[in-house]
Amino acid sequence: MKIFGKRLFRPRSIWIRRVVQWFFFLLIAIIAINHTLVENGGGIPFLSTASLHALCPFGGVVTIYQYATIGTFVQKIHESSFVLMILAFILSILFGPVFCGWVCPLGTVQEWVSKIGKKLFRRKFNRFVPAKLDNILRYLRYLVLAWVIYVTATSGTLIFADYDPYFALFNFWTTEVALPSLIILGITLLLSVFVERPWCKYACPYGAVLGITNLFRVFQIRRVESTCKNDGVCSIVCPMNIPVDELQTVRDHQCISCLECTSEAFCPVAKTVVFNAGGVK
Amino acid sequence: MNLTSKPLAAIIFVVFFGGIAFSTGMGWWVTESAKQPAAYTEGEFVGQSNPADIRGSYTFGVVENAFGVPSKVLAQAFLIESNSPSTFAIKGLEEIYAANEFEIGTGSVRLFVAFYNGLPIDLTADTYLPENAAALLQDRNLNAEQSAYLKTHTIPNPGNPAPEVAPTTEPSQSAAPAETSVENLIKGKTTFQEILDWGVSPAMIEQVIGAPMPSPLTKIKDYCIEKGLDFETVKATLQAEIDK
Repeated sequence: MKIFGKRLFRPRSIWIRRVVQWFFFLLIAIIAINHTLVENGGGIPFLSTASLHALCPFGGVVTIYQYATIGTFVQKIHESSFVLMILAFILSILFGPVFCGWVCPLGTVQEWVSKIGKKLFRRKFNRFVPAKLDNILRYLRYLVLAWVIYVTATSGTLIFADYDPYFALFNFWTTEVALPSLIILGITLLLSVFVERPWCKYACPYGAVLGITNLFRVFQIRRVESTCKNDGVCSIVCPMNIPVDELQTVRDHQCISCLECTSEAFCPVAKTVVFNAGGVK
Repeated sequence: MNLTSKPLAAIIFVVFFGGIAFSTGMGWWVTESAKQPAAYTEGEFVGQSNPADIRGSYTFGVVENAFGVPSKVLAQAFLIESNSPSTFAIKGLEEIYAANEFEIGTGSVRLFVAFYNGLPIDLTADTYLPENAAALLQDRNLNAEQSAYLKTHTIPNPGNPAPEVAPTTEPSQSAAPAETSVENLIKGKTTFQEILDWGVSPAMIEQVIGAPMPSPLTKIKDYCIEKGLDFETVKATLQAEIDK
């Protein structure tokens, strides 16, 4: 808020991100409910009846092998998954994994649950996992990605759906959901009380794919050393525990482009942690 | 060039919804399979829709469009009381006939449509029809093999008393041998644990489903639906293993 050109209150978060997250969460939830209604002979008029598989960009990733080799999609995957995959890639190449930080409803739900942990544990929240173990565990999602691509390619079916907490989140009321995915969803939500976005950090195969774009994305998060107070706020608020205060340019494969570390949100010095293309002076 | 959160939010919306709108305009935005069964690729009926490819997600209306069998006839055959039978999804039959000893489901519709239109269909698996469906097929041009199959694969309509002699599988060429126990028949509610108990090895199950063994308590039918496998095919293969 500005009065006479002076900033009185600093926003404590990127509020527009919360709006976007809510929007996509509600959109997917309503479509998932509508899909169930349609399957039972009902449905909400003028609303998409697509299945969750049809609206998942990761479906496009897992079907690439089958599409390249025999020209067909994995069962339950459709052209729409391919379209969404391409759109998410375009955004990621430009801005990093904004799909993870702004769109993915599972990430959103984890953040909601984490609010409980933040109240309970305050500064200790998101600092429970020892750094050494944490560093190793963060590569686990690449193993998950390799496994998912392998089993999908060899079976031609969406085996990962049985373990996918995102699928469980929006299908727990149907008979389509498998018990392992419900258990993994439960564990993810429970861990979210202690750790910010545990699924994203340690297991999400789609986050693993998009995370690679952090290495070469056009818009980067950059810290201006000349004005930085080295107070470490940017690192403390980072949900992915990236040591922003030790970096000049954030190229960490786990960054989700949430912008919480920037001067627009928590960094107390103007134009010090910025999101830009072309570097800083 | 610096970018802040509000323009970024706008860009996210523009890219996603603009991209979807563009792909819709180009005809690329497809969120469901075409409700068009595959055609015969060889033989006398090459090019015609093959009833064996009817899916549980199809409605009677889709079947009517693809095969010319009126939705009302299908509803009458399977005793579906509905003002708009064309919207009835075939997979709904499984719930309606859940209490039946012999399964009525997608396979039954495939069989009925094939017999109704005089089209060939694999008769090695045991697929059953309710009395109503069988009665409607009496006027169709069935060959001797189809007539014999129908005779032994008809079950009472729901609510009617069961016949003294249960349907047998004798007429089909590779049907279950006579000693097959009725209790050891794979139905919609059969779990993997049950077929393990009946002597099928986990390795054989994995070979049939082409994937690691799921939880033994999983219903085979639910698994097939979830994985997009054809339940009738999986059932027939596993049943053959049980009958060995």
